[in-house]
Amino acid sequence: MHEASIAASLLEIVSGQCRKSGCSRIESIHLKIGRASGIMTDALIFAFDAMKEGSPAKGAVLEIEEVPVSGHCDECNNTFTTEQEYILSCPCCGGSSFRMTAGRELDVIDMEVS
Amino acid sequence: MKVKVATKILEANDRIALENRRVFDHAGLFVINLMSGPGAGKTSLLERTLAGRKDLRIGVIEGDIAGSDDAERIEKFGAPVVQINTGGACHLDANMISDVLGDLPLDEIDLLFIENVGNLVCPAEFKVGEDMKVMLLSIAEGHDKPLKYPLMFQESSALVLNKTDLAPYTDVDIGKIRKDALSLNPGLKIFEVSCRTGEGIPEWIDWLRTQKKNG
Repeated sequence: MHEASIAASLLEIVSGQCRKSGCSRIESIHLKIGRASGIMTDALIFAFDAMKEGSPAKGAVLEIEEVPVSGHCDECNNTFTTEQEYILSCPCCGGSSFRMTAGRELDVIDMEVS
Repeated sequence: MKVKVATKILEANDRIALENRRVFDHAGLFVINLMSGPGAGKTSLLERTLAGRKDLRIGVIEGDIAGSDDAERIEKFGAPVVQINTGGACHLDANMISDVLGDLPLDEIDLLFIENVGNLVCPAEFKVGEDMKVMLLSIAEGHDKPLKYPLMFQESSALVLNKTDLAPYTDVDIGKIRKDALSLNPGLKIFEVSCRTGEGIPEWIDWLRTQKKNG
């Protein structure tokens, strides 16, 4: 729902980093977005494309890597990765003593500039 | 040429949130980010809390898309209050809070409530510098909400179930709300209150007092 503010922050980060590296154009941006981050990638791309005009990222494409939800259960000591967005119980033992270790990412990894 | 960025997209917000947090800590303030869908009773809970606060010094930041109705309701209780209008934004962010800190007598408050924009989705994503997130759900919203809006239940330290006086008139399964909310967040502290009758409010206020001491 707030993909527009996420897109604005992203644009600020990559434009700043692009200038810092002495380049003028961003070709592509590699993002990692967790499946449980609550962000819809289509909406993010839509918002980013609408905002990028007039910035060093005007020709940039977003390369989005989805990160599945992973966790560790302290009860059965298993580490797991699931296809689901949210986990209600440990997929191994059904217990509730698990911690999510991945799946909430909203990270810019790197970008291709020229 | 490849350039490493390695930055969290919300880093700028998190940084400002941390600065806000430092200001709060310096003033000895315990800060609660209060979140719920529209109409769950955030302002009513604050009214009840203010009415029963005794020596607890409470301040409020009100976040709404538009209008100052909520701040006017809080003002009647003689509590320091600031209204933020987000002008369309679906949540409060750290910068909006930072902008109004100078308008509150921080040294004269023990507990600051930041009443977020009514929305079960976005406010959970943005830190504003709080010590703790607390969410409110009115039982009339239905027992399917924890599984439909899991993030807010996961991010909150406490859940206040409001409008329990309506239970006889609905088919809501409060046991299911509790069970699903605890599955998402086993450490969640749950209160059942009715802001209309005042039921459950003393337990809530007692708990606030212990949080303030711990914080």
